[in-house]
Amino acid sequence: MSQRNRLDHGGRVDRSRPLRFTFNGVAYQGYAGDTLASALLANGIDVVNRSFKYSRPRGIVAAGAEEPNAIFQLGASEAAQVPNVRATQQALYDGLVATSTNGWPNVERDLMGVVGELGGRFMPPGFYYKTFMAPAAMWPKYEKVIRKAAGLGRSPKERDPDIYDHVNRHCDVLVVGAGPAGLAAALAAGRSGARVILCDEQEEMGGSLLDSREQIDGRPAPEWGAAVLAELAAMPEVLTLSRTTANGCHDHNFVTLHERRTEHLADTAPTFGGRRQVRARLHRVRAARVVLATGTHERPLVYAHNDVPGNMVAGAISTYIRRYAVAPGRRLVLSTTNDHAYRAALDWHGAGREVVAIVDARDNPNGDLVSEARALGIRVITGAAVIETRGKKRVTAALVAPIDPVGFRVRGPVEEISCDTVASSGGYSPVVHLAAHTGARPEWRDDILGFVPGKVRGMIPAGGVNGRMALAEALADGVEAGTRALSEAGFKPGGVMLPQVPRVREGRAVALYQVPHVKPAMRAPKQFVDQQNDVTAAGIELATREGFESIEHVKRYTGMGFGTDQGKLGNINAMAIAARCLKQTIPDTGTTVFRPNYTPITFGAIAGRHCREFFDPRRYTALHAWHVEHGAKFEEVGQWMRPWYYPRGNETMDEAVQRECRAVREGVGILDASTLGKIEIQGKDAREFLGRLYTNPWAKLTVGKCRYGLMCKDDGMVMDDGVTACLGENHFHMTTTTGGAAAVLDWLELWHQTEWPELEVYFNSVTDHWAAMAINGPNARKLLAELTDIDLANERFGFMDWCAGTVAGVPARVFRISFTGELSYEINVQANHAMHVWEALFEKGGKYGLTPYGTETMHVLRAEKGFIIVGQDTDGSVTPEDLGMQWCVGYKKPFSWIGRRALSRPDTKRGDRKQLVGLKPRDPRLVLQEGAQIVLERQIRIPMPMVGHVTSSYFSPTLGHGFALALVKGGSQRIGQTVYLPMPDGKVHEAEVVSPVFYDSKGDRQNV
Amino acid sequence: MSDLAIFDVNPAARIKSESPLSMSRATVSTLRLPQGAGVVIRERAFLGHLVLRGRVSDSAFVAGVEETLGLSLPLKAGGLSIGGKDEASIQWVSPDEWLIIVASGREFETETRLRACLAGHFAVMNVSGGQTVLELAGPAVREVLMKCTPYDVHPRNFPVGKGVSAVFAKSNAIIRRVADERWELVVRRSFADYLYRWVLDASEEFGVYVAE
Repeated sequence: MSQRNRLDHGGRVDRSRPLRFTFNGVAYQGYAGDTLASALLANGIDVVNRSFKYSRPRGIVAAGAEEPNAIFQLGASEAAQVPNVRATQQALYDGLVATSTNGWPNVERDLMGVVGELGGRFMPPGFYYKTFMAPAAMWPKYEKVIRKAAGLGRSPKERDPDIYDHVNRHCDVLVVGAGPAGLAAALAAGRSGARVILCDEQEEMGGSLLDSREQIDGRPAPEWGAAVLAELAAMPEVLTLSRTTANGCHDHNFVTLHERRTEHLADTAPTFGGRRQVRARLHRVRAARVVLATGTHERPLVYAHNDVPGNMVAGAISTYIRRYAVAPGRRLVLSTTNDHAYRAALDWHGAGREVVAIVDARDNPNGDLVSEARALGIRVITGAAVIETRGKKRVTAALVAPIDPVGFRVRGPVEEISCDTVASSGGYSPVVHLAAHTGARPEWRDDILGFVPGKVRGMIPAGGVNGRMALAEALADGVEAGTRALSEAGFKPGGVMLPQVPRVREGRAVALYQVPHVKPAMRAPKQFVDQQNDVTAAGIELATREGFESIEHVKRYTGMGFGTDQGKLGNINAMAIAARCLKQTIPDTGTTVFRPNYTPITFGAIAGRHCREFFDPRRYTALHAWHVEHGAKFEEVGQWMRPWYYPRGNETMDEAVQRECRAVREGVGILDASTLGKIEIQGKDAREFLGRLYTNPWAKLTVGKCRYGLMCKDDGMVMDDGVTACLGENHFHMTTTTGGAAAVLDWLELWHQTEWPELEVYFNSVTDHWAAMAINGPNARKLLAELTDIDLANERFGFMDWCAGTVAGVPARVFRISFTGELSYEINVQANHAMHVWEALFEKGGKYGLTPYGTETMHVLRAEKGFIIVGQDTDGSVTPEDLGMQWCVGYKKPFSWIGRRALSRPDTKRGDRKQLVGLKPRDPRLVLQEGAQIVLERQIRIPMPMVGHVTSSYFSPTLGHGFALALVKGGSQRIGQTVYLPMPDGKVHEAEVVSPVFYDSKGDRQNV
Repeated sequence: MSDLAIFDVNPAARIKSESPLSMSRATVSTLRLPQGAGVVIRERAFLGHLVLRGRVSDSAFVAGVEETLGLSLPLKAGGLSIGGKDEASIQWVSPDEWLIIVASGREFETETRLRACLAGHFAVMNVSGGQTVLELAGPAVREVLMKCTPYDVHPRNFPVGKGVSAVFAKSNAIIRRVADERWELVVRRSFADYLYRWVLDASEEFGVYVAE
């Protein structure tokens, strides 16, 4: 296997562990320790992708998170597909399968490339907006084609086999970035015994130390880093997380870390000891202090055809040579504005390759590295820059010219220099993203030609990100930041000796972003600013000419800074170019807003374990196992799983519900009512409190009695209802709707704690403590009588009474309340004993035709009686009077109650408010649609006045026809009128407005 | 006519009773043996749970509770008193609310004794059917808890003898540390299945055994 760019020695790869992988269907080999990018470069792969808009061939540019081009689709199987993986951050593993995300039929021979080449001139910024504006209705069709031609990766079509999770962590100091500053900070913090988390996005910790040429404390920088990491690993309160990106920084130092635990091993997580490993983990870290040691991103220079494969940022050259033992070419030209980038040429030379020239934009560069290069006999061209490169799929030459960076012009003849690689460096941009996530605007510093983080409470930047880029300075800054973080977190700093680094003298850098060309920018060959989005310097200039002055508008018009790299490589250059075009300074232009996430994160890590069966809690009653065993279909009510209906044999839902309805009306049915909210109220002011909460009076409810109550919000609108029983003078048992239970308890606490703390009353939820079983129907008494010691005679235990006794030997409270209109007993027992009671009822219930029924039957039966369901027949805009429940409003109560004032407003007194009525469709077989709009005329006109809508609608086997409840404007005055319900299919249904009580309007059946 | 309707909700005779997790325990499979398990889970079913409300400023109330239970009434957030008679415990829940847990079947007797001893404005409410205790023991419990709750369970913040009510997965629980590697969760009945399965799933990578 040829790895023609692999060096024979050096680097941090393990040559004894070759790994096979395929890229676009071709097999290659790399080594353990490679990234996918370094392995591709080792194999001499120049073209790795096609560009987004122009389909130009593109190569690897960088070595880290800022890489714009090497964005691949990974995964050997459909389920394991991962889109948009940065090859520079993907460790190589055996069997890795990668393909380019763009390029059809392939990256080498791309058809769109022809279009791009021809059409490039005709595709200015805003091209899609301008071209596909009209007609608007066609946009979805255009979009489909455009996305296919210029898309990035695709998501898998099969279920993800992997598991993910979240871990909550707390620490005194979180150090983001394990380069020199981060390691120094972690060491300073860790030695004191504080809880420290050190995270780094790379496979190996050490950051720039790993490709450093320098010495720390007399030994090579990587060795110092390894020693520090070993010491940190031995500290029990220090956690080091590699392959872990701090992706988002939120208020109060809440930082999310995305740890990739197995992506370096395989495309899906392996199993160890029979247990499937977590593929990715989101650490939710709450840190007292954050040390931001994220370093810098090198800025490439913007020159013509700077996107031809073979053009790279200078630092990446050093990284590939020194870390991965890959020299990605033979003949190098370096174009730089600063001393630090000279390392690329020195490393290239050290790898035995030819440095054709160093082109330095400064007139008199004179730092130590410059001298070193000159001493090696390398040609250094000063006051000049690479203004253009030649070549299609690989650089063949660089055009070099003397330039005037301030006057932005070429000031002398152009020289063509033959080479295959052009490295460029325009300086170093601090990685300010995390600080900016909190809203702090980065601040420009002229001395370092970069934005540093704005001030964030609790966050201390250190090292390169703080503008202290030289190794000695970064280490010192790290120690200082770690120490400061520690003392701010309340710890006594331990001793850390400042590591000693021989000083390297560096000359001052020059400000250069876009390199002038012999032609004006608008006519020069393309000078790419953002390679991932194919944004050129001319595009930015055009945007400013068209009137886009805010950098945010320029971003959205040109597309710069979108995509998976979010402008890490190009944004500062883009801002500098916009500033030049707008004749303003860079700080005046400012940056776009940085938002989480720093790099893309898998949806799995966001979801964690909150997926599939754990997506939402499911609440069960004590009788759930019985319902399952008896074939119930379930309905989710809030988070509760309630039996919906119990089909027998091949029954449809309609058939089952009709059977269940008849059983209740004719024999006896049973409902698991345990989900209803229950609140126990104790205290001498309990009764007074109830009177203020409910609309109706409670002063005279005697012990042993139950009463229905309505609760309004302070706006007078119904919020909940339920039956409350007087257990004792100072003791009440309140029931609420299933979904409203928690909100009602909060409501009680709110009013008690904030408005009436002087009332002596306590509340507590007992929803889960009591299981409730409602038996309803003419045979209910006979059934219960077989199992209870309670005297069930109507005279002693009447409708709306409650009694205590035993049922099936279990102490119970039995409430004679009814939601069906039938003779009803609701048996409440301690939930642990509920199954025994339920089963005992069925043992005795056979001869009475005892039938379990679900929520659907309950809905039909209650609607026949005109009983509302809050949240179905009401929607927060309905008053008790709108429901025809004036009987449940006590205007004469001595103390005002919640909602009373609102109910005396003229608006709530209007006669034409929407009011609850019944609807009887003319066609008796018809069941109206819930939500259907109601109008007063058969003939449709525009605009058509709508007067209401259907809230509940069912077929009643008891009545023998469909029926509905509805809210209709002035409905109470329309009884007997005909209304119409136009449907989407053109049919217009006709219905008569009737009383909402369809069955047993006198209530005889529940009183027997 | 009495002020309060208090009664023993447990049957006189033995009947089939089902704890909140009886359904769930029957439908999960985990390690067959406790050896090598990072987490051992056990439901402490059928304990007596009482919610106590009252005023800390009422010294007679504080003294009455302490005398009845033989335990100090924790007055600070996170407070948990364990021991005394009947392996009882008192858990601070809010400035005027505590959770008392007593041995199985002792809840009515405890309530009666409390009521005999206390006067004025207070409340005792039996919630024994509505919640259960899940015990987690083993070297990996702390790591499991870190997956479940945003509350800091590091020993520095969560010593033995502390208990807090906190977010737990997408529900909530009272989390108590009763020994170095033994923790308890007090969970509501209706959420018990969800939380139990959640904990089992979160523990899976450490090896988990369900004890009787």
